[in-house]
Amino acid sequence: MKYVTTIDDREFEIEVVDERHIRIGDRLLQVDFESVSGQPVFSLLLDGKSYESFVYQGDEDWQVLLRGRQYQVNVEDEREKRLKAAAGGGVAEGGEFHLKAPMPGLVVSVLVEEGQEIQKGQVMLILESMKMQNELKAPRDGTMGRIRVKAGESVEQKQTLLSLQ
Amino acid sequence: MFKKVLIANRGEIAVRIIRACRELGIDTVAVFSEADRNALHVRYADEAYLLGPAPSRESYLRADKILDIAKQSGTDAIHPGYGFLAEREDFAATCAELKINFIGPKPSSIAAMGDKGKARATVIKAGVPVVPGTEAVGNMTDEDLLKTAPTIGFPLLIKATAGGGGKGMREVKSLEEMPTLLQSARREAESSFGDGNVYLEKLVEGARHIEFQIMADSHGNVIHLGERECSIQRRHQKLLEEAPSPFLDDELREKMGSVAVKAAQAVDYVNAGTIEFLVDKDRNFYFLEMNTRLQVEHPVTEMVTGVDIVAEQIRVARGRQLSYTQEQIQTNGHAIECRVNAEDPFNGFMPSTGRITHSLLPTGPGVRVDTGVYPGFEITPYYDPMIAKLIVWGETRAQAILRMRRALEEYRIVGVRTNIPFHQTLMDSHRFMGGQFDTRFVEERFSMEGSSEIKNSSAEIAAILATLVAHKQTERSAQIVRRNERDTSNWKWVGRWERMHR
Repeated sequence: MKYVTTIDDREFEIEVVDERHIRIGDRLLQVDFESVSGQPVFSLLLDGKSYESFVYQGDEDWQVLLRGRQYQVNVEDEREKRLKAAAGGGVAEGGEFHLKAPMPGLVVSVLVEEGQEIQKGQVMLILESMKMQNELKAPRDGTMGRIRVKAGESVEQKQTLLSLQ
Repeated sequence: MFKKVLIANRGEIAVRIIRACRELGIDTVAVFSEADRNALHVRYADEAYLLGPAPSRESYLRADKILDIAKQSGTDAIHPGYGFLAEREDFAATCAELKINFIGPKPSSIAAMGDKGKARATVIKAGVPVVPGTEAVGNMTDEDLLKTAPTIGFPLLIKATAGGGGKGMREVKSLEEMPTLLQSARREAESSFGDGNVYLEKLVEGARHIEFQIMADSHGNVIHLGERECSIQRRHQKLLEEAPSPFLDDELREKMGSVAVKAAQAVDYVNAGTIEFLVDKDRNFYFLEMNTRLQVEHPVTEMVTGVDIVAEQIRVARGRQLSYTQEQIQTNGHAIECRVNAEDPFNGFMPSTGRITHSLLPTGPGVRVDTGVYPGFEITPYYDPMIAKLIVWGETRAQAILRMRRALEEYRIVGVRTNIPFHQTLMDSHRFMGGQFDTRFVEERFSMEGSSEIKNSSAEIAAILATLVAHKQTERSAQIVRRNERDTSNWKWVGRWERMHR
């Protein structure tokens, strides 16, 4: 099976040839891949080199903890990739962006108004959590759509706070 | 010695104090909020009592409830740890009224140093140099502060009088932006400390944050245990501390040490305390504030001096003399502490909550981990994001850095994002290795991009790992839905598969 695996903007074409071999680009590599004691801990021997890692499934992608560094990894097989392309990739760029609370907390202030022109990086909302105030910024330019929360309100993780059009 | 000590705190520091008590043969009483029922300090203590709901105002800040529990449990002393009630003069005073020993300084010393404005006035009298700022003592209005600001000059800092940990602190570049920043500083101070008063201080640029650990007994003995370098900060929150400071020489160390002792004497101090200084590039030093409590970073001093600061605090609170004279304090080697926080350094250090599913602690020569969490522990948004302190000791600073690198690589925490990658990048930074940094280093001259080379070389491996796991999962689900040669129905097969993987 062939996969297209993405980390940040880097794409890796990886083919799982059989239980002991993978192909990455044009390199055929020998793998020995074991799950350790049924936990999301994996031991990988790749051409004799030993790697230990934690791999677990996030909401939309895989989280890989390797040598103390955490990677957000998107894995798609060829079929998924084709379907996505057929459905018209890149729609998200122009579509509505919903700012969701990255953690539960208290809305300290909403710094934007509905209908306001917003620039990428502009602070839209301040959320207090773990005794610190966190600035939530716009990921791109746009127009402020609906604002669903107000200052002083407690919010749950992943609750939609506002929408950017 | 005391028979039973109540620890009015949570997390790693509560565990640390329980350990010291146990070694001294003292029973311990833990208190906890509803969110902390399964916390380690609750499990390690001899007794444990519920305080109330998760928010600290309804639990760890409820002095009345804590004192009730102390009375009911027959506690003869209370250790406040750091944060929460540690620097509340009224709490220490009520303990004294109730004949419960407060393991900390006298209420009058807390009052003198707790209000930063008063502290400045007190140490100035004792001849200690201070950072220029508002000398007015008491509650200054916004109008007063706006009027005074230009006389101090910009950039300056708005600081919470009851502050600590960078909360209620704002940097001001001009008079125009000051009203808004005053408002937000007061709001944060109010929500963190229940006191929205602030004062102003000149921002000493290019300064290093160097602090002296002092210990004092009730017999008039005051000593210092050397300094800690705490310049690696972000938003005025310390991230890494080391002892000794790579910036000080013996001459300056001795000078600052004796000033620190003088500052403690000025408030008739008893117990452990810390005198914080800013040191500019020309080695001029200024008193910043005094923390009248145990500090997060105390282990680095313990590692280089061999003094158990918490045990010494307890002994001194019992009225014993200090176990050491100044001459007996010798430092050996170098120690570094990394604060491991539930924060994502790749996403603006955004706090991360959730359940820690796996945690493997580094061990080995010269490594110490102080933590209150374990696999299955839930990181909630109610308390500070610090989940562990990783401390290493080496004969030299270079060895300590190498050891820290090794320990960070061994440390595995899964379930929440942590700032371990930040510390790893820092350990690889040439400026850090060279000891060339100040308090602005992380915010102005440090980037996680520095790790991109290392990140890229491992990215391919991470991609392979995720692909292999995803492939395995796809294969399993395919087995479930695919009509194949199995001798049983899909439902039965799924049930069997789930039992096997439970």
